[in-house]
Amino acid sequence: MGTNFVVNIGRQQGSGGRQIGQLLADQLAIPFYDKELITLAAKQSGLQEEVFERADEKSRYTLTGGLLGLKGPALDMGFSRNYLWNELLFKIQSDVIRELGYEKSCIFVGRCADYILRDHPRALNLFISADLNDRIERVMVNYKLTSKEKATDLIERMDKRRAGYYNYYTNKKWGTAESYHLCINSSVLGIKGTANFIEGFVKQKFQ
Amino acid sequence: MKFTSNPTELGQEKVGKLLVRYALPSIIAMTASSIYHITDSIFIGHGVGALALSGLAITFPLMNLAAAFGSLVGAGSATLLSIRLGQKDYESANAILGNALTLNVLIGLSFSILSFIFLDPILYFFGASEVTLPYARDFMEVILLGNVITHLYFGLNAMLRSSGRPEKSMFATVATVVINLILNPLFIFGFQWGIKGSAWATVISQVVMLVWQLKFFSNKSGFIHLQRKTFKLQKQIVTDALSIGMSPFLMNAVSCLIVIVINQALLRTGGDLAVGAYGIVNRIAYLFIMVVVGLNQGMQPIAGYNFGARLYKRVNEVLKITTILATGVTTFGFLFANLFPEAFASMFTNDRELIELSVNGLRIVFLSYPIIGFQMVTANFFQSIGMVGKAIFMSLSRQLLFLLPCLLIFPRLWGINGVWFSMPAADLISSIVAAVLLTQHFRQFKRKELEEENVRQEPR
Repeated sequence: MGTNFVVNIGRQQGSGGRQIGQLLADQLAIPFYDKELITLAAKQSGLQEEVFERADEKSRYTLTGGLLGLKGPALDMGFSRNYLWNELLFKIQSDVIRELGYEKSCIFVGRCADYILRDHPRALNLFISADLNDRIERVMVNYKLTSKEKATDLIERMDKRRAGYYNYYTNKKWGTAESYHLCINSSVLGIKGTANFIEGFVKQKFQ
Repeated sequence: MKFTSNPTELGQEKVGKLLVRYALPSIIAMTASSIYHITDSIFIGHGVGALALSGLAITFPLMNLAAAFGSLVGAGSATLLSIRLGQKDYESANAILGNALTLNVLIGLSFSILSFIFLDPILYFFGASEVTLPYARDFMEVILLGNVITHLYFGLNAMLRSSGRPEKSMFATVATVVINLILNPLFIFGFQWGIKGSAWATVISQVVMLVWQLKFFSNKSGFIHLQRKTFKLQKQIVTDALSIGMSPFLMNAVSCLIVIVINQALLRTGGDLAVGAYGIVNRIAYLFIMVVVGLNQGMQPIAGYNFGARLYKRVNEVLKITTILATGVTTFGFLFANLFPEAFASMFTNDRELIELSVNGLRIVFLSYPIIGFQMVTANFFQSIGMVGKAIFMSLSRQLLFLLPCLLIFPRLWGINGVWFSMPAADLISSIVAAVLLTQHFRQFKRKELEEENVRQEPR
């Protein structure tokens, strides 16, 4: 491993986290993993990609969902586990993340990578937020939405989902400062500026 | 059986071989628990009397409810535990273990206190009469005293399974059965403790194994072990665990409700001994049903994985094999219940009237057994492949949509036989529902399979 390092990026919906990660990866000339993890996890397990897509960054349990039994181990408990359970998919995906993280320098976006790689000796964990207006604008462009309300809805829904997923699998709090090494608002310096700033941060840490 | 990140053997190994490997431990554990229930009833029936069996049957719903509260904590914390262990996050895993213990104590204690205060009204509501109430009360008082122990014992057993020690959990299960088997005759025949003796045997067997479990979990060199600081409840763990446990809790609560309605109807139409007869029929039915449950649990990972990997041929194969085996088991039950009902019933009692009532009940209730295996496997199949909605619908509709109305109407028309016939009638309707849902599913399935074949042939 030696000089390898990993950068794990958590991000609010619409904060430009993915773009920043991509830029950073280009500048540092290391690979970048976001949705690509799904393909890799599918290949590793022999399961279809759609199985992972359905479970991607979703936590299964809400009190009401559990009440309706739509999301739980309803019929019996204990000795066996449904093989399409999100928990298993999480395990497979996290094995892929671990394998990649220990094999080479790379950047991960989302999917609890900071938690999965918490024992990695050279890891930096970032969280990227942005002003709400900037996020709405970005979401409207990315998802081709016409109204601000729809964009706000989507943002709220996605953030809730990501927080649920993160908190469920890590027992930590998504988006709170103590979970990360650096929390940054991308509205201040813009996408490019933020990527440059982080690049400096990463270089200073790992050189 | 447990999370493994290299599940590809599920897509390659022979299906029949896999099924045996995955189902056998479950079947053994399930059978052990059936045997425990059956022997309990046998000792009470012969050692205490026919009416004591009725008293025992009245406690079934209350025991179900206690188990429901157990699964509320157990299912969730076990799931959370295996997630954390999968990440080698032993600190969080320990927190979950500690929290689960605290939750079990809190819930077990509240359940005991509330049930103690309202014990008589509850038992009357569950189908007791002045004659049978003392038996039910005697039994329940001891069980409720030990309720916290029961909760802890089952909770820790679930933890053993999800922490990758299923063999330890199985040992504990079998050990409680054996201890119970030794203590029961000693207390009932030796000490003349009556029905209380049987309850003490249950509680003591669990105390012994709980001590054993605690010893295992106190070993500081183990990956997870009990630590004082982990007992303080954490909001995130509690809400996650309870949310997961909610649906098994509700399923158990529904079965509790159904048993209450059955007991009440039998008391109305056939008197105290009819309730006892249900106790006998229920124990024997349980024996066959639990084997199918074990088979189902073995099928789940195999069907689930292969479905997710689009190996539909293997999905069909495992469904077929499981259905055949399950149908074999339940048909076996049907044959036995109809050919030798006397032999079954007189295992439990010498009382002529109770034997006759049980024989009649056995004959009718087992009528649907040749098809019930199919129904159960189908519901489980839908769950395995992620169509949880259909699975829930199938099991809830069987109980609430079909069985409940039958139980409310039939007894008014045909008396005690109406109660018995409600069960095969509901099974028949729900098997038809299962057949419809499965056929519907297979149409889509076949289409997909053909597409798969086409895709696969191209590169070759």
